[in-house]
Amino acid sequence: MEDKEERIETSLVAIVIDATPAKKFASQPLDGSSMMNRIFDSLIAFGNAHLMQASHNKLAIIACNSKSTKFLYPSMDGNSRSYQNRPGQYDMFAKVDSDVRHGLGELILNDLTDNDSTKSDSLLGGAMARALCYIHRVQRELSLSHQLKPRVLVVSGSCDSALQYMTFMNVFFTAQKENVVIDCCMMDTDSGLLQQGCDITGGQYLHIPSVAGLLEYLLWVFLPSPSCRSKIVLPPPTKVDYRAACFCHHKLVDIGWVCSVCLSIFCKFSIMCTTCNTEFKLNRPAIVPAKSKKRARIE
Amino acid sequence: MSVQQRTLDCKDLHEYLKTLSATVLDRLYNHPATCLAVFRELPELSRLYIMRILFVDQAVPKAIMGSWVSPNSAKELEDIVKLLTELRLWQEVEMQGGLKGWLLNPTFRRNLKGALLGGGNEWSMKPPTDADPKARGIAILDEYAMGRWECVLHFMVGSHQHEVISSDALQILQHAGLMKKEPGENQLTITRDGFQFLLMDTSAQVWYFLLQYLDTATARGLDLIDCLGFLFQLSFSTLGQDYSTDSMSDGLQKFLQHLREFGLVYQRKRKDGRFYPTRLALDIASGPKKSMLNTMAATSLNQSSGYIVVETNYRVYAYTDSSLQVALIALFCELMYRFPNLVVGIITRESVRQALRSGITADQIVSFLRQHAHPECYKEPPVLPSTIADQIKLWAIERDRFVYKEGVLYNQFDSQADFEILKNYAQERGVLVWHTTHGRKMVVTKEGHEEVRKFWKRHSRNGSM
Repeated sequence: MEDKEERIETSLVAIVIDATPAKKFASQPLDGSSMMNRIFDSLIAFGNAHLMQASHNKLAIIACNSKSTKFLYPSMDGNSRSYQNRPGQYDMFAKVDSDVRHGLGELILNDLTDNDSTKSDSLLGGAMARALCYIHRVQRELSLSHQLKPRVLVVSGSCDSALQYMTFMNVFFTAQKENVVIDCCMMDTDSGLLQQGCDITGGQYLHIPSVAGLLEYLLWVFLPSPSCRSKIVLPPPTKVDYRAACFCHHKLVDIGWVCSVCLSIFCKFSIMCTTCNTEFKLNRPAIVPAKSKKRARIE
Repeated sequence: MSVQQRTLDCKDLHEYLKTLSATVLDRLYNHPATCLAVFRELPELSRLYIMRILFVDQAVPKAIMGSWVSPNSAKELEDIVKLLTELRLWQEVEMQGGLKGWLLNPTFRRNLKGALLGGGNEWSMKPPTDADPKARGIAILDEYAMGRWECVLHFMVGSHQHEVISSDALQILQHAGLMKKEPGENQLTITRDGFQFLLMDTSAQVWYFLLQYLDTATARGLDLIDCLGFLFQLSFSTLGQDYSTDSMSDGLQKFLQHLREFGLVYQRKRKDGRFYPTRLALDIASGPKKSMLNTMAATSLNQSSGYIVVETNYRVYAYTDSSLQVALIALFCELMYRFPNLVVGIITRESVRQALRSGITADQIVSFLRQHAHPECYKEPPVLPSTIADQIKLWAIERDRFVYKEGVLYNQFDSQADFEILKNYAQERGVLVWHTTHGRKMVVTKEGHEEVRKFWKRHSRNGSM
C-alpha cells in the first residue's frame, strides 16, 4: 500500500541583484524615466509576483556592488520603516516594495559618493554565497512538515571577473550539493561563469536581448518553479562553454597550466601562482642530483 | 451503485465558487483580496498563464496560448482552460480574422494587477488612525482564538464543563448536519458527519464551518458578496495588527460579531471601534488543503498540536490533559490508562471498526494521527509507523468487499463465435464488467451499453448478409 506523507512545499527565491551597472543604466533615458528605474520596478514586481503565487512562498533580495553586499528584503535593520501603501496593493507587497527601494537607494548613493573606482568588479560571488547561507538558515528553521524548494536568481549586467573565479566555483558546487537551483538573467553582457553555474545546478540561463522588456522575461522564464518548467516551452539552453578563462589574461584556454594547490588556470607558465602565492619548484629535481655529483668529484 | 464511504463533503475554494452564480462571481472579483485568494488556489500552470497575460490588455489567440506548453502537457492545458472558464476568469472571444482567443476577465485583471502593483480598488479594512492604548500581543490572540474554537468542539463532543455556545452557532451546527435533534428529545446529538468533522484539522474545520455559515448568510439578511470579500481581506491581514470598524456597514458589523464568537477575530468590547484578526482567520482561503495555521501552530500553540505518539505495537500515547482531545482519541482507540497529563490507549480491530461504523474513514484516522504527532516523532520519519497506517486501511477495506456496479446483461448468444466477438469488443472499449463462457453471459457497464448494442446490430446485419 502506497502511503506518502504530504509535505507542504515552500518555494524560496533569493534574488541577487548586481548593482554595479546601475550607473550605466541610470544614464539611459526611457519613457521619461531612466532605464535603471525600469529595471528596479521590474525586479520588485517579479519578487511580488513570486510571493503572490502561494501563501507559503518566501522571498529574499540581496544586492551587491563593488564594495559591499546588502540584504534588501527581509531587511536586516529590524525597525519597521513606515511605508506608504498605494491604494489596492496588498500590505505585504507594499512592504517589499518600500524595503527594496530604500535599500537599493542607499547602496547606490553610497557608491556614487565614494568616487574611488579603482576596483570595479562587483562582489556577485559574495552576494550569492550570502544567499546560500540564508537559504541554509531558512531550511533549518522550517518546520518539519514543510519542504523547501530553494533557488537563486542572479540578475546581472557586468562581465565575468577572474578575480572571483574561486568564489563562484565554490558557490556553484555548494549550491549543487544543497539542491539549490541557480537561474541567471543577464543584461547587455554574457557571463561564461554564470552559464556554467546554471548548467551545473540545473537552472536556466538567459541573456536578454532587450533590457526594457526585463519584467516580461522574468515572468515568463523565471517565475515557473523548476518542477513546472518541463511542462512549458522555454528558450532552448545555450551551449555552455566549459572552457576556463585563464587568470592572467582572462582568455579562454583549451590547454593551460593549472596550479596544483588552488587549481587556478594560467595560459603561460609562471614560477609563482598569482592566486595563492605558491612557488612552483619544477626544476629542482633535475638540479639537485647535478649538484651532488659536482660535490662528490671535489671531495 | 458502489458502496463507498460517504465522506464529509468539504469543498475547497474553487468548488465553492463554482456553485455561485455568474453574476455573483463577477461582483466578487471587484475586490483585490478575492482575486488574490482565487489566484493562489489555482494550479501552478494556470497561475503561470494568468501571469503571462496579466499585462496584455487584449485577447490572445488560442493557437499562441497552446504553443506555450510542451506537447505532453496538452491534457493539462485542457483542464486549465476548463477551470478558468468555469471560474469566469477568462472568456472565449472572437478576434479579428475569425481567430478564437482568450480574454482575461477585465475586473479580475484590474484588481489582481492592483494587488500586485497598487492602483486597483481600495481595501476596505484599514488600520485605525490612532494606536490602540491596550494593544494585544500575538500570544493572547492565539489563546483567545483556540479557546473560542475549542468551546464549539467541546459542545459537540458533549463535555459540558464549558459555557454553552450561542444560538447562532447552534443553528449552523444543525444546518451543517453536524448535530441533530432526535425527535422527542431536547438534547442535540452528534451525527456521523459530526464525527468526521471532529477529526479534521482546525483550518479545515473553520473553513467548513464558514461555508455552512455563508449558506445561511442571505437568510440572515447579510450580503454574501460583502461577507466573502471581508473574509478574504481578513485572510490577508497581518497578525497582531488592529483594524478599524468605522467604515464597516451594519451588515458587516453583525458578521464581525459572529466571527468574534467563533474566535476568528478578537474584539475587547463591542463598541471598541477596532478588532484584531486571529490566526484562525489568516489564510482562510487556502481552505481544507493546507493553511498556515497548522505550521504556525506547531511552534506557538504547542499545547494544541503534536501530542500523540503511536508505536508499532498499536499503542497510542497522548500527552494531553484536555478532555476534548481525549474524547477525540477515544473515537477510534481503546483507552487503557489515564494519568494527569497522559492517556494511553491501544488501537484494535474492534475499536477501529467501531469508528468506521460511526462514519469516520480510515484516511481521516490516519491523517489525524499524523497531524497531531508529537514533535519527537518528526525527528525520525515516518511520523506514523507505516504498519499502523496500512493496518487501519486494511481494516477499513475489510468492510467493503463488495463493489456494486450498474450494468446491462447480454445472454442467449446463438454461437460461441458471436459471444467471443462481442466480449472482445467490450473488453477493448473497457466497458466489460463481467463475463462467463459457461452459458455465454456478459455484463457491460451502463455507459458502454449503447456502443456495444450498436456494434452488435452492425455485426449481426453484416453476418446475415
